Amino acid sequence: MTIPAELLSNLMTSTEEVFETMVFKPLVRLPSADGEAAQKGTNVVATVAFAGHRRGLVAIHSSIDAARNIACAMLGIPEAEINGEIPDAMGEVANMVAGTFRNKLAAVEPASAIAVPTVTIGSDFSTKYLSAVRRARCPFEMEGMPIAVELILTGEEAA
Amino acid sequence: MRFLIVDDSSTMRRIIINTLNKLGYKDFYEAANGREGVDRLAAAPVDMVITDWNMPEMSGIDFIRAVRANAATKTLPVLMVTTNAAEDDIKEALRAGVNNYVVKPFTPDTIKEKIQAALKA
Repeated sequence: MTIPAELLSNLMTSTEEVFETMVFKPLVRLPSADGEAAQKGTNVVATVAFAGHRRGLVAIHSSIDAARNIACAMLGIPEAEINGEIPDAMGEVANMVAGTFRNKLAAVEPASAIAVPTVTIGSDFSTKYLSAVRRARCPFEMEGMPIAVELILTGEEAA
Repeated sequence: MRFLIVDDSSTMRRIIINTLNKLGYKDFYEAANGREGVDRLAAAPVDMVITDWNMPEMSGIDFIRAVRANAATKTLPVLMVTTNAAEDDIKEALRAGVNNYVVKPFTPDTIKEKIQAALKA
């Protein structure tokens, strides 16, 4: 069972709005992929859970270089001045993407609530979920660097 | 004009301060949650509060209720900057006592317009 196209469309539009308005960097869409797609080159995963009418997660995947670039753009500082701001900046990006996505859905269905962001930074890792989930990954390019936003639906809807 | 910026994200506090700088405002206090915001207001007066909603320890809504319950701050202009934009969210924030509401992501023009509206309220 795949994730409905309109949900992915809302998620991609939400991501583009956040990057245009708060990161000041436009995104180029690449073809989406269902399921547990490869996460090559991912060093940073920022995740926000949501619950209510729908349950699941919104996750932003990026390389550490892209995450640094995003943090610098949001904060208006040069790369040399970055000192520990990447997790908070990526968490805020995930919070805004998940919040905007949630608001778009709340216009047409009962609202869900979002949780505070969780950010993982490392190398050579992938994310897996033990329960039945539906996953879809929407890749973008930001100034030649890969970024992806993933929607994971859990619970009965995902079975 | 002095602002108190209340947000658990240091990135968002910095973005708001950068935006206010561009609008000509230069005087800020910061707090990482509603509890720190209450303490900050008790220590020194400000002219306007800009607060997030979802924060640990004390949420933005509980913080605004505390601001309105205090005689010294009950008429202080309060602007809420949040991703919560469902109709019920806005109603709850207005009931708690916000003067105006900005949905993230936002542009500097939106912040400017909402600050001016909150100051007139």
